Amino acid sequence: MSLLDSFLLAFIGLAGGVAVGSGFVAFLTVLDIVPRLTAMTRTRKRVPWYETALVMGALLFTLADFRGWIFSLLPVATGFIGLLCGTFVGFLTGALTEVVNVLPILAKRIRMESRIFWLLMAMVLGKVAGSLFQWLIF
Amino acid sequence: MASEQAFLQMKKRVQALPGQLLRVGDVADILAEGKEAFEGIPVARFGKTEGNMAVVELMEVLQVIREKEPALDIHTIGPPQTLVEFKTPEPVPRWFALAGVWALLFVGSGLAIMNFHTDVSMEQVHQRIYYLVTGAYNDRPLILQIPYSLGIGLGMVLFFNHVFKRKLNDEPSPLELEVFLYQENIDQYVIDHEKSQKRRGPRVPFG
Repeated sequence: MSLLDSFLLAFIGLAGGVAVGSGFVAFLTVLDIVPRLTAMTRTRKRVPWYETALVMGALLFTLADFRGWIFSLLPVATGFIGLLCGTFVGFLTGALTEVVNVLPILAKRIRMESRIFWLLMAMVLGKVAGSLFQWLIF
Repeated sequence: MASEQAFLQMKKRVQALPGQLLRVGDVADILAEGKEAFEGIPVARFGKTEGNMAVVELMEVLQVIREKEPALDIHTIGPPQTLVEFKTPEPVPRWFALAGVWALLFVGSGLAIMNFHTDVSMEQVHQRIYYLVTGAYNDRPLILQIPYSLGIGLGMVLFFNHVFKRKLNDEPSPLELEVFLYQENIDQYVIDHEKSQKRRGPRVPFG
């Protein structure tokens, strides 16, 4: 492999990484995930910390995955990670549902604005049940 | 005698029965001496042909008041129209409909999350995470996947702010905000639409 090839590959890798990284941040920004979390915990001034957390998380997981770093922890530790992963995915799906405005329109159409909480719970429980079904039975 | 002053503010949104006679007091708040006299003046009556929304313009209200009290000096505040929404009996047995929609959303959400997991190869990612964390392979890392599944529910509930609503803050949840904005958009559309549309013939007469 010549030097030129190495440079070309490194450039392709860097370009791809920039595209994926900016896309990831743009996606999270559109969905207003961080503002929701800061409003909930009343830590608006700590947003730079959360930005760092997102970047470090993406970086650490990429490195661990590509380099094959093994942490040799107890299986229980994966349960903790799983809960955090799931909560994050829950945030994503909640935000996506909200962006496309499904529930307000549906509730208005069938004239059940007052029962919108139950419609929301149907989606939440449906997601949990679907996910459990997929891992346990499917 | 100097003309008396009156302050008039159109209500933003009122509910009425179809065919109900709307008086000034129904569509506007008035601050004036002897305001009871104005509040009883009929303004409009909408028949069943009007659909379930109608608009009463400020100018119509001013006109009927001036007909009765030409010397009154009226100051107006607030929106230039009132949106009238007609209450109609609900067409379907609601519990039945709710159960149907509930089942639809429940099953649909479950399917959607399974599609998502397949789409992003979530199971392989879980196996990989399990391997990297523990150093051992596990085809079905349930100890990771069950908390993960519960976490999805937790995340959605947290996002929609139902758990910490009372404890942590009183800002509306995103869903409440969306419902509000959606309703505002519909109201604005109805108002603009009614304005641009020329009134077809006279309304149902008073009486």
